[in-house]
Amino acid sequence: MSDKSDVWQGTLALMVLKTLEALGPLHGYGIARRIEQTSGDLLSINYGTLYPSLLKLEQEGYISSEWGTSDNNRKAKYYKLTRAGRRQLARATRSWEQTTEILARFFAPAQES
Amino acid sequence: MRLRQLRGWLARVAGFFNYENREREFAQELECHLQMHIEDNLRAGLTPEEARRQALIKMGGVAQTKENHRRQRGLPLIEILIQDLRYGLRMLAKRPGITLIAVLSLALGIGANTAIFSLVNTIMLRPLPVENPEQLVSLRNEVGGKVGMAFSYPNYKDFRDRNDVFAALIGYRFAPLSVSHDGINEKLWGYVVTGNYFEALGVSAVLGRAISTDDDRLPGAHPVTVLSYKCWQQRFGSDQSIIGKSIIANGRSFTVIGVAPQGFFGTEFIAAPELWFPMSMQGEIEMGSPWLDRRDVEQTYVQGRLKPGVGVAQAQAALNSIALQLEREFPDINEGKRVVVAPPGIMSDAMRGALLNFAEVLMIVVAFALLLACTNLANLLLARATERRKEIAVRLSLGASRRRVVLQLLAESMLLAAGGGLIGLMLAWWLVRLAVGIKLPIDFPLLIDLHIDYRVLLFTCLISLATGVLFGLLPALQTTKIDLITALKDERSFGGHRRSWLKSGLIVLQVALSLVLLVGGGLMLRALEQAQTIKLGFDPQNAIEVTFDLRLQGYDNDRGREFQKRLLDRVRTLPGVESAGIVDLTPVDLHFGRSPVFIEGQMPERIINAPRAMASRISPGYLQAMRTRLIDGRDFSERDDESAPRVAIINEAFARRFWPGENPIGKRFSQGSAQSPLMEVVGVVEDGMYAGLSDDAQPYVCRPLLQSYSGATTLVARTDSDPQKLLAVIRNESQQIDPRMPITSRLLIEKMSMSLLPARIAASVLGGFGLLALALAAIGIYGVMSQAVSRRTHEIGIRMALGAQASDVLKLTMRQGTMLTLVGVVIGLSGALALTQLMKRFLFGVSATDPLTYIAVAALLVAVSLVACYLPAWRATKIDPTVALRYQ
Repeated sequence: MSDKSDVWQGTLALMVLKTLEALGPLHGYGIARRIEQTSGDLLSINYGTLYPSLLKLEQEGYISSEWGTSDNNRKAKYYKLTRAGRRQLARATRSWEQTTEILARFFAPAQES
Repeated sequence: MRLRQLRGWLARVAGFFNYENREREFAQELECHLQMHIEDNLRAGLTPEEARRQALIKMGGVAQTKENHRRQRGLPLIEILIQDLRYGLRMLAKRPGITLIAVLSLALGIGANTAIFSLVNTIMLRPLPVENPEQLVSLRNEVGGKVGMAFSYPNYKDFRDRNDVFAALIGYRFAPLSVSHDGINEKLWGYVVTGNYFEALGVSAVLGRAISTDDDRLPGAHPVTVLSYKCWQQRFGSDQSIIGKSIIANGRSFTVIGVAPQGFFGTEFIAAPELWFPMSMQGEIEMGSPWLDRRDVEQTYVQGRLKPGVGVAQAQAALNSIALQLEREFPDINEGKRVVVAPPGIMSDAMRGALLNFAEVLMIVVAFALLLACTNLANLLLARATERRKEIAVRLSLGASRRRVVLQLLAESMLLAAGGGLIGLMLAWWLVRLAVGIKLPIDFPLLIDLHIDYRVLLFTCLISLATGVLFGLLPALQTTKIDLITALKDERSFGGHRRSWLKSGLIVLQVALSLVLLVGGGLMLRALEQAQTIKLGFDPQNAIEVTFDLRLQGYDNDRGREFQKRLLDRVRTLPGVESAGIVDLTPVDLHFGRSPVFIEGQMPERIINAPRAMASRISPGYLQAMRTRLIDGRDFSERDDESAPRVAIINEAFARRFWPGENPIGKRFSQGSAQSPLMEVVGVVEDGMYAGLSDDAQPYVCRPLLQSYSGATTLVARTDSDPQKLLAVIRNESQQIDPRMPITSRLLIEKMSMSLLPARIAASVLGGFGLLALALAAIGIYGVMSQAVSRRTHEIGIRMALGAQASDVLKLTMRQGTMLTLVGVVIGLSGALALTQLMKRFLFGVSATDPLTYIAVAALLVAVSLVACYLPAWRATKIDPTVALRYQ
């Protein structure tokens, strides 16, 4: 149970970082919508679960937040990537690609030996 | 990566504070999130209500989100702990009286334990204030199974120079001093030490230099001294220019060459002399008895620093091969002498044993007291938990885990324990200060360096923690193991024995504990009472003693005799003085030693096997001044001087031991060595106490001071008026004869009370805790009985409605309490029989199984607990059946 949620949290964190890299500073609601859209609505998350993840990333210094004003003049908290966040994203992307590549080899039809 | 995690934790620690702000901020963020979502939903064409509903569903519960956020924000475990502690505090504050009693009884237990521990810490655990103290050992001089502390100086030198197991072997000796500086005369204690002493111990001077091997070359040629830090501070006002100044010690001038560092008090735990002199000056310090060349005088204490990697057994073997060489070289003196390697310190094993035994008894007493406080605490928590049974049941049925509830109950007991620990520590601090403040009337630089150090603090924390957990856990576990349905329905079970095993156990324990403590206290009281009637062999009332050491002022034998005679003559003519005499050792003096006795016609084969007897040297008039009864023969007179035949007075025990059934008058013996001149017995005195109080009479010999001079003597005078006033007058007389003579004086009564001090302390501690225990046990029994009765009100009502008499009800309800008490008494009696064996040493004249004490204490306990049982039982008989039956 907790293993699964750890994996999920790690993945979610990666998605958050990627979203912020792509779109720049964004509020929590925006991030949630974006993740849902990008996943092609395959992923249906409770928006509430996003916030502890955001907080953790902020505590670890990968993102920072400040209050700003939204398009329709609403006060909202905006999150943006820090330099450490960018580095972490690059690292995580590499490691993710490696993992998927390894797994892909396992699932690919056996070739020689 | 690790660093990031650390940063995360730090942020969480920060999030732990400023709770309100962060909470508000997150509420705003969520609110804004919802609003944006609702607006989007409205744009998508939903009705306002539906838009809101969908947004909330998608969020997944506002409260839950907030809770998850909170968890990530701060430190949930600690927050829960704080919550529990707060809750515990509130619950404790609700019943301030009971809480106070619990905390105070815990504080008493913990405080007493801490104070005693600090004593043990001083005696056993604290390292010596020297470099690598674990490498130090003391050497003991064993001959024929008897272990001596000191070696002859020539033997020491041979051991030092021939061994290859010690990095250094040092020799030292205590020396009484009469020091004059700046016009003040003081009696102090010092050390004479070998030249390698300071270097071997790794101690260097804070001012000037320490004594070195260069100061220990030619006897009499190095008049230098090193002051202890305390001496420098207190007697010389921390004079920075002290180096090079001279002081007069024992009539000779010495140059101060250094000041020892603060905290260095030599190599003994219990003594702190103030000056160090080179061993080469021994003859000048101990005027008239030089022993540096004497292989037959054993005065040097020896300590060694083992070479790295050398074990005790190896060192002992190496030393004993040297001892064999010395035996061959000096067979007369060194026959059979062997070396034993022992822990550092000249405190003899017997003395250390006695001290430890005393500490042991006290430790057990205070451990019992703590245990008692704990059972009390457990009782209290149990009662509290029973009151809260319903609340706990509600929480358990609402889904609280048992662990969570137990933790919450534990928090409460931990709070009590922490409070008790804190107050206990303060109590211990106060007790220790009190103990250090006691000025013992002993002529020795006794070092009572009790203090609360980190070991003591650690000890206090640990026992507080242990009490809190142990005695909080049991009730908590028992309370949470409840049948939810009955608990929620608030049903009273009939009889109610099932769940009360813990409570019954606690009562039994309390009764047993208080019985053991009371028996201990009772025995000590009996012993004190016995000590009042003990046959002292003299009368300490209205007598005083004035001690002066003529050797320290450089008096030779003739001048010394002259001084003794002049002082005695002056004192005898003082108004109010009935009689006066001079003696070298007064009872009950620990310096009393036993020396071998050689009866004419009963020579032993080896000196080692000679029987021994105590001895002192007295002047005419001494026996009269002490009111020691002369049973047979005559007292010494002025005519028994050096030109007269050698004479002696013995006590009855001596006569019984050596001439059973014969008239001892006229018999002859010698003492000390077989070659000493024979003495003729001219008188017999009653038995008495000599070296401290003991049960059996020891053989004892008096010799005339006029035939065997001693320079270290005590004048004893008996008065029919105020002895305190006489003290001042005699001081004045002594000043007139020699203004520089340092004297110490006191009432004989004071000295006697000193030797009973350990017994007094033990009796009051044991008795005090015993009474406390009794009170606690009585309260406990009363509490348990009242609860049992109120639980059985319904049952009693039915019984009475069916025709049970008041006496039947009384019997029914009292049976339980009586049973518990009796079980406790039986356990307590067997415990007391076992544990009081440890106290034997302190019980003069009373058996550790003194039946009177046991019976009286057991009867007292049974009586008290019967009263505690009777009150609730009596109340039960007053129950009106109609009320009781309705009572649910």
